[in-house]
Amino acid sequence: MSTTTPVRGAWRLVAEREITTRVREKSFLIGVAVTVVIVAGAVVAASLLSGRASTEQIGVVGPEASAIVQTADGGAIAENDNTSFEPTEYNSVGEAERAVETEKVDAALVPDDDGGYRIIGLTSVDSVTEQAITAAVSQTVLQNNASAQDIDLEELSAGTTTTTSVLEPAPENDGARTAIATVMVVLFLLTVMIFGLQIAQSVTSEKESRVVEILAAAVPIRALLWGKIAGNTVLALSQVLLVVVAGVGAGIAMGETAFIGDVGWSLVWFLVLFLLGFIAMATLWAVAGSLAARVQDINSTTLPIQGLLFLPYFAVFAGNDSITEVFSMLPISATMVMPMRLATETVPVWQLGVAIGGTIVAAILLVKLGVRIYERSLLRTGNKLGYREALSLSAD
Amino acid sequence: MIDVTSLSRQFGDHLAVDDVSFSVRPGRMTGFVGANGAGKTTTMRMIMGVLAPSGGEVLWNGEPITADTRRTFGYMPEERGLYPRMKIREQLVYFARLHGFNRTDATARADDLLEHFGIIDRADDLLDDLSLGNQQRIQIAAALIHQPSALVLDEPFSGLDPLAVDAMVDLLRREAKDLPLLFSSHQLDLVERLCDDLVILSGGKLVAYGAVDELRGQGADRYRVVMDGSDAAWLRDLRGITVRDVDGSTALVDLDGISPTELTRAAVERGPIVEISRARQPLSEIFREVIR
Repeated sequence: MSTTTPVRGAWRLVAEREITTRVREKSFLIGVAVTVVIVAGAVVAASLLSGRASTEQIGVVGPEASAIVQTADGGAIAENDNTSFEPTEYNSVGEAERAVETEKVDAALVPDDDGGYRIIGLTSVDSVTEQAITAAVSQTVLQNNASAQDIDLEELSAGTTTTTSVLEPAPENDGARTAIATVMVVLFLLTVMIFGLQIAQSVTSEKESRVVEILAAAVPIRALLWGKIAGNTVLALSQVLLVVVAGVGAGIAMGETAFIGDVGWSLVWFLVLFLLGFIAMATLWAVAGSLAARVQDINSTTLPIQGLLFLPYFAVFAGNDSITEVFSMLPISATMVMPMRLATETVPVWQLGVAIGGTIVAAILLVKLGVRIYERSLLRTGNKLGYREALSLSAD
Repeated sequence: MIDVTSLSRQFGDHLAVDDVSFSVRPGRMTGFVGANGAGKTTTMRMIMGVLAPSGGEVLWNGEPITADTRRTFGYMPEERGLYPRMKIREQLVYFARLHGFNRTDATARADDLLEHFGIIDRADDLLDDLSLGNQQRIQIAAALIHQPSALVLDEPFSGLDPLAVDAMVDLLRREAKDLPLLFSSHQLDLVERLCDDLVILSGGKLVAYGAVDELRGQGADRYRVVMDGSDAAWLRDLRGITVRDVDGSTALVDLDGISPTELTRAAVERGPIVEISRARQPLSEIFREVIR
């Protein structure tokens, strides 16, 4: 009579239900959209505010002035400020002035009556332009004067240079790197909290609505657990991926390709560690859900997990570098701290290995333990259970 | 056939089910009755495998039952449960697919059941938006959705009006004609009307089990005599019977040595009669007797 066969892929159906139920919720879709907009917007704003590459058009009169602007373009000031100078030649000072007036050029460099040079601006002259061109003028004219008087300028200026060096150089774009690291930490915390609570709630409401007894009679309990973990992992990872893509996309649109190339690997490791860490945590959230008898109990049964999540967060922000190093290698907390370090400093490969290996081992152990507790506590309706109580339950 | 053999379940010091054995035969409705706390629900949960027995086992066609076999059963738990915020058709399709149906078959099956209950037009409503009676119908539909090989229904008729009971009985007769079907109920009149076999629990122990007709047969040979207007009290003087009750012209007697023919003859001699009929012992009486 029966046409049914034992279902091997029941977890897939459970996962499918988790996903379809969630993506139909307006609040979920709005949340995703808001996160994407905030991250992309933050990238655009940061890019606009930080010193992005700029080109100053300088009107010049005469080949010498043109050469001076080219010298300024290759000078140290231009390089430090990420600015380049482009000369545009005009036949007379008047023409050059008109070009400034009509904003065809940002400034003009013209020979002055006293044999020197004059920089012309519209309402003011950009300070970087002024410095760079002044330095180039003095370098060029000094060189010319020295040659005219048969003086070896190099000999004359020997020993006058001063260079600086720092023992622990900050990586380039230090501020932006720290910002990216912070975004990754916050993104991890938020996503794990939101989806974690969602998992716990989904488990508890099945318990509360008693549908769990029908489910348990239909599929193995561990298939329910696997389905919930799989479904929510797909959702969470998709959301994070979407946010990362939005951020990177906004960065590329703003012309920050070089910087993205620098931090790209830390983003990739972030996604890898996120996946592993999320799976490990997902089991814990499901267990916390199975311990609660009603949705109101979730706050207290998930408290230990929230502690586990926020401890490394506070430790890292309050502690010193060695604390950060330790937490970046501990299982699960590595998920959050390691990508942060990867974005801001050079991390030895072995430490990354420890972080990933440890998180994989932790995920496997936690899933095993989680299945054990879940199978025992899921059908215990009526009262909220404690973790110790659940572990000591006999198999039913 | 489901055989429950020496099933026991202990909760702490409390023995909720104590060495209970009975069979649920295919094609026969087996009623499961007992006072509150008699152990019916615990027994059903053990049959379904959502609770492990402390002792004894459940057999399916003579073999120890497996998880895979149990998954082919239809189950309606005592504590009703479905997804409150899920559309009902979607919900039924989900349960069917969990049992191995593909989406097309599952949808056809769900629509068939919704049609039977006359709520096909509500298929896209959330369960929460349905009346309690209709929610109950969905619950039974969820138990039948995967064309089960046996049915274990805990209080399937509670909370239903008589018309809804009839619709559900029709459906069970159609769907579970050849299946072993065990259902518990407090409504003894309903059990009496529907059941072929009866299992009565009291305090976790089996106190009566067998075909309803046999169980009734264990009672005395009881007849009802209705005189036409005259008082029936004369029966008290008739030998070979025990008078259970006299109320005006109606009396209830147990034959205790004389035959029905002799009773009829004595009554006709006494005066005009309206009725002499065998009084079947009502289930409620058997129930009260065995759990006493």
